[in-house]
Amino acid sequence: MSSILLKSAKILDTESSYHLQTKDLLVEDGVITKIEDTIESADKIINRENLHVSNGFFDSSVSFGEPGFEERETLANGVTTARRSGFTGFLLNPNLDPITDTNSAVKFLQQQIDTQLIDIKPLGALTKSFDGKNLAELYDMQMAGAVGFYDFKNPIADANLFKIALQYVKSFDGLIFSYPQDRSIAGKAQVNEDEFNTYIGLKGMPNLAEELQIARDLYILEYTGGKLHIPNVSTKASVHLIKKAKAKGLKVTCSVALPHLFFSSEKLESFDSKYKILPPLRTKEDTKALKKAVKDGVISMVTCDHEPMDEEHKELEFENASYGSIGLESAFSVMNTLFGVEMASDLLSKPKTNFGLQTSKIEVNQRADLSLFDPNSEYTFQKQHIFSKSKNSMFLGESLKGNVIGSIYNDTIYEN
Amino acid sequence: MKELSVSNLLGIKYLTAEDLHLIFETADQFKEVINRPIKKVPSLRDITIANLFFENSTRTRLSFELAEKRLSADVINFSASSSSVIKGETLIDTVNNILAMKVDMVVMRHPNPGAGVFLSKHVKASIVNAGDGAHEHPTQALLDVFSIREKYGEVAGKKIVIVGDIMHSRVALSNIFTLKKLGAEVKVCGPNSLIPKHIESLGVKVEHNLIKALEWCDIANMLRVQNERMEHSYFPSTREYVQQYGINKTLLDTLSKPVTIMHPGPINRGVEITSDVADSEHSIILNQVENGVAIRMAVMYLLASKIKNYEN
Repeated sequence: MSSILLKSAKILDTESSYHLQTKDLLVEDGVITKIEDTIESADKIINRENLHVSNGFFDSSVSFGEPGFEERETLANGVTTARRSGFTGFLLNPNLDPITDTNSAVKFLQQQIDTQLIDIKPLGALTKSFDGKNLAELYDMQMAGAVGFYDFKNPIADANLFKIALQYVKSFDGLIFSYPQDRSIAGKAQVNEDEFNTYIGLKGMPNLAEELQIARDLYILEYTGGKLHIPNVSTKASVHLIKKAKAKGLKVTCSVALPHLFFSSEKLESFDSKYKILPPLRTKEDTKALKKAVKDGVISMVTCDHEPMDEEHKELEFENASYGSIGLESAFSVMNTLFGVEMASDLLSKPKTNFGLQTSKIEVNQRADLSLFDPNSEYTFQKQHIFSKSKNSMFLGESLKGNVIGSIYNDTIYEN
Repeated sequence: MKELSVSNLLGIKYLTAEDLHLIFETADQFKEVINRPIKKVPSLRDITIANLFFENSTRTRLSFELAEKRLSADVINFSASSSSVIKGETLIDTVNNILAMKVDMVVMRHPNPGAGVFLSKHVKASIVNAGDGAHEHPTQALLDVFSIREKYGEVAGKKIVIVGDIMHSRVALSNIFTLKKLGAEVKVCGPNSLIPKHIESLGVKVEHNLIKALEWCDIANMLRVQNERMEHSYFPSTREYVQQYGINKTLLDTLSKPVTIMHPGPINRGVEITSDVADSEHSIILNQVENGVAIRMAVMYLLASKIKNYEN
């Protein structure tokens, strides 16, 4: 029997009767057994200044590299990174080698994961090898545990294939992810089309590329019914389209990636490839509209869009560098800086409900699934704060507020 | 002695108006030098310059090499087709290997926008950008504007129209920056599909009608259509492009006043301009080429003097 005691922890859980109260909290064998003003002893006592506790963070877009790209990130180190960053679960993108596009590939990933340590839900590919033509065996993957189908950041160009996919998965309540980009409009452009790309001579991708695809997807969704998730929404007009669709009653959810809430395209002026992500950084006006949409609840999910990339592929001339930024380690600090601790912890722990996954509450007799943090500290995010194998963080050098202390999941604890 | 505010020439956007004037004044002196019977000065006798061309070039490369030789620099040449780039070596490694042989200055042409900026953060050498993708081609803009200054005495208040493929042109961008910093008025003219949507944020105006643009301007800088940078067709045919944006003698004769014609080369005769225009008295195309050597001598001389001052 093992026990963990949190001393004077401020509880942040809108579903809990202890919300906003500061209590001692005892976890025994992976279950919260006591929440009281004072609890005396346990095997392990966490007594940290400004200790806050919320439900475990869950992210809707995490990429690792195992199998296939272990130089970017391994599963073991990825899990440690997530747990030390306050995350007790996430959706794992299928951009591996081999691509997660079969029942056995989904099962393989699940076998590699210690479910006592973390709650990782694999996503399956929508089409075989992301070919955009032939549907993968979606039902079979769902039976193996895939919670959705996503050709990671490869848009579904063929409208009819998208229509058929939505129709097909409806009978088993499958969830399609559609990356919002019309490739014919985006072309080879790698950055947003605005004043900055004009100034630096990089080819620009207009907002239109994203908005056309979202408009198309929503039209088709209205026709077919079913469920759709649009990841990485990044423009003001995209938000407007999704808001209207929700008002119509369509079952659509969307996410915005943290970089799009924190940075805008002016960062590209330095040609620094750390700011090279997909979708590209947009204008200040978009950033402002996205933040508002998160506050208003139109966008219900914020993702750190964690994408490790080794420096051999990242630290190159801008056009030759790979896309992506890691984000797990900085996620809480960035959210806390942007929205304050209550909203940050709520948004970070909420995505589970969006995917119909089992959730827990901070109440006695509930399973322990907790993130621990101090929202008041201030620091500059640097390489020493990165646990990932790859160091490609966009937030390096940024002044942030609040740091993660650790996480508790079942009877396991990670403490920084 | 006056010196530049920068230690690399990565783009005109990083220069001040004072830098531009200093480069022009220095180029005046070198232009006089290259017209002497003995065209060579010993200024860069102890400087080694590597010309790294990761993209094809004939005139720019020759012009740089001649400028370097006129300054008595030691010169080595490198081109991508004969290099280790095709073996997968990174840009930083390639350049550091060359610098290990004690090279002081790198003149680089590269297909990626920002390649010079990237390199300057990673290697210890003075870098001169000889064209990086659709970003900048600073020495071309300097020689263009130097040629305008030579013909008109000054640049401020002059009206220049840049005609053609603005979207894929580093020459257009560098020219806009140079002209705006020196107080000229600039319009761009071309098919709407080849004009960046946000170009007016750079302080220029857009005119789609060539005749109106020519009536407005003192100088027309005719750009080449950069077919090699287009992933698909931006206009139906060359014939139709010429109908709308090509300049011929008949057209120039209908204008109410003469217009000076410039072209960064290489000219597609019969496309942007016809032969009778290219060879006419209003064309300063060959002056541009001559001034290119003087401008490049000035740039390398000024950058090298910063290296020397640092060493002293």
